[in-house]
Amino acid sequence: MEPPFAALLFSTTAMDFWLGRQIGKARERHVRRLWLVASVCMNLSMLGFFKYGNFLLQNFQWLLERVGIIYHPPHLEILLPIGISFYTFHSLSYTFYIYRRVLQPTRSLRDFVLAVSFFPQLVAGPIVRAGDFLPQLVRAPRLKTGQFCWGLMLMTLGLFEKVVLADTLLSGSADHAFGYPGPLVALDWWVGVVAFAGQIFFDFAGCSACAIGAALCLGFHLKDNFRFPYAAIGFSDFWRRWHISLSTFLRDYLYIPLGGNQVRPLRAASNLVIVMFLGGLWHGAAWTFVVWGLLHGSYLVIERVVRICCAERWWLNNPIGWTIAGGATFVAVCVAWVFFRAPDFTVASRMLSGMFGGHAKGDAILTTREILQVASVVFGMIATHWMLRNSSIEIAVTRMPRWIVTATWALMACAIIFNQGYGNAFIYFQF
Amino acid sequence: MRSSISNFKKRLRLPRLFFRKPSREEQIHGSPPLEFVRPIPPLPWRGITVVVVLIVLGATMVWELYCRLIGYGPTLSDNEDFWTLRRRLVEPESLVIIGDSRGLYDVDLDQIQKGLGKHPVQLAMGGSCAYPVLEDLANDRTFHGTIICSFVPRLFLAPPGTPPMERGEKAVHRFHNQTLAQRASEYLAFPLEEHVAFLNPHDLTLDDYLSELPIPNRPGTLVPPRLPPYFGTVDRERRTRMIQKCAEPNSALARRIQQIWIPLFTPPPPPSYVPKDVFFAQMDKAIGERFRGITIAVEKIRVRRGKIVFVRFPNGAGLKALEDHDPPREKTWEPLLKMTRASGIYYSDFPELAGFNCPEWSHLSASDSVEFSKRLVPHLRAALGM
Repeated sequence: MEPPFAALLFSTTAMDFWLGRQIGKARERHVRRLWLVASVCMNLSMLGFFKYGNFLLQNFQWLLERVGIIYHPPHLEILLPIGISFYTFHSLSYTFYIYRRVLQPTRSLRDFVLAVSFFPQLVAGPIVRAGDFLPQLVRAPRLKTGQFCWGLMLMTLGLFEKVVLADTLLSGSADHAFGYPGPLVALDWWVGVVAFAGQIFFDFAGCSACAIGAALCLGFHLKDNFRFPYAAIGFSDFWRRWHISLSTFLRDYLYIPLGGNQVRPLRAASNLVIVMFLGGLWHGAAWTFVVWGLLHGSYLVIERVVRICCAERWWLNNPIGWTIAGGATFVAVCVAWVFFRAPDFTVASRMLSGMFGGHAKGDAILTTREILQVASVVFGMIATHWMLRNSSIEIAVTRMPRWIVTATWALMACAIIFNQGYGNAFIYFQF
Repeated sequence: MRSSISNFKKRLRLPRLFFRKPSREEQIHGSPPLEFVRPIPPLPWRGITVVVVLIVLGATMVWELYCRLIGYGPTLSDNEDFWTLRRRLVEPESLVIIGDSRGLYDVDLDQIQKGLGKHPVQLAMGGSCAYPVLEDLANDRTFHGTIICSFVPRLFLAPPGTPPMERGEKAVHRFHNQTLAQRASEYLAFPLEEHVAFLNPHDLTLDDYLSELPIPNRPGTLVPPRLPPYFGTVDRERRTRMIQKCAEPNSALARRIQQIWIPLFTPPPPPSYVPKDVFFAQMDKAIGERFRGITIAVEKIRVRRGKIVFVRFPNGAGLKALEDHDPPREKTWEPLLKMTRASGIYYSDFPELAGFNCPEWSHLSASDSVEFSKRLVPHLRAALGM
């Protein structure tokens, strides 16, 4: 991390520490709210400037052009401080907790700085709330052998997911398809999109597993960030399983304050769309991320309508119905990934058109080996998710014979070492 | 009957969330604390870890022995970070070698130092276009040294967006943006890569093994040509030398690489999604722009009293026909020297440089590179006015 960014991280953290104390001290509700607004404004303006500064200027220029005003904004040479989207939320969660009287202000700036900038989760999450982490700093963490070894195994699993599955077996096909400047046959588009669906899961889940494992090795406990998301039946189920720390953050601090589902149906639907719109924008300063978020928002609205209309239908309440709904969820999520991964709408629209048969004379660029590789990894991933959808990795490991646990761990470690890797950063580092 | 899961939950410490009155010790955070504890599977972890470590160590040693047995030796990974470390050594009056893999394999740094009196900094990169590096040196206002630039038309004139151009751009970008962690990582990698053969970045990765599987492709699949396997070693000064297994006359490895060069040096067909005439017009425009860019870069260096010499290194029989034909010398080498007013050394113009044999058609063996460099020095001295 660059020294100016470290100073920025420290100053916003110190500011939130102070604001937290003010919120804690204030007796009147409106004063507490005022301090909370100050904290939210400070954090979000920092995020807005660094992450969305140029994006806002470009869109402002575009709007002015529409009304006939020619304006050339200066291009701000802003470097995005690594992890800003994550540590802003870490810090914000603290003032939210104090405002809600769930937590009292901490007296130790050192502990608060550690909670916000704890290195395993600083750069790419999971978003760890102050209420989950600060209490762990009350006593010096006691390291136990089992906890340390399990932490090591989670780190190995995370690196295996990242280095072997995401980077080696899936990223090549995704990069080829998304980077091809011309039309492709439908099979190649679909393989590229499905490969990306697998790549982003293994990349981000791997990153989270490494963070959880590293924290465990140091004696700290972080919550799960993924719970077998590709076995989701419906989109609300998907968001209970994918990037849980972000979705629960948005649920608790945005969706519920907006009224959640305890309001009229139209308002509840617009709440969902607003939350997913902001969730999309959180990922990056680009309209493609916004469309990705809006697409998920509309999926959630459609799902709610279907659930209301068809709650009692027999075909929705049996294993075949669940399997079909799970498959449809996966396909719809893959379609949304097109906007997440595509650099612009030209690529996204070309890809979507090709996926649904729009390119009769497209090129074939993926080798049979790549197609088989993606198919087998993604099939294995989905099968594992369905097998463990109501379970957890801890339960699965406990049920396994010891020799299988040992062999699997050794195999993953050997695969990481022999594979060497490509030195690619985790995808979520850029957010 | 109670399910096995509920039994399991009893044994397993599940997450617990609870509120309680804070103790005096906990007042520091003014709790009430929400304590979260991750479940740890109840297994004999100490024993499992020891067995895993032993298996991984054993497997690593067996893999290392196997890699050495099949002919792989330790070599440094020639990546952007390594290149950047060398680029940092360029001083205002440095002697710098830029270009493609022929500038790497065919130049012996010691002979050049002996002949020109300066130790050269090796900045050539395999399969890369030298233009981004040349442009970067031209834009470095402190630089007024000497550049020896290897010239292979297909690489040097590669249009933007192609792999050779991207390789050069990536290296330059890394030079300007390398983080402390990336630099430290490279320094940590050196001692490992210098001693461990299986870290050899060629052919030994899972992806390389999977791509060897004999699975036929769909008819008409556009597959990029494969890159050559391991045939050279790199040291800390980026001295690159052909391994003996490839340098031996008519060796199997050399013959295999020859067959890989042919598609790599054959012009690819125009893409299906761009009309042919439009594509060729775009190519001509890109080449024209490249020549203008090179001329500007050379002029910038010359204004600062820097010097540059272009060198066309030897190629073997199979590639010579391909390279001489498309694009011909009259359309690349001649206009380059004319537009830049720079000196050039074309190996086939000088009998003492023309008689070398490239075992795999593209590069000289380690011993020949020494002799070639020795014979190249007088030509370099003349071209540079020394």
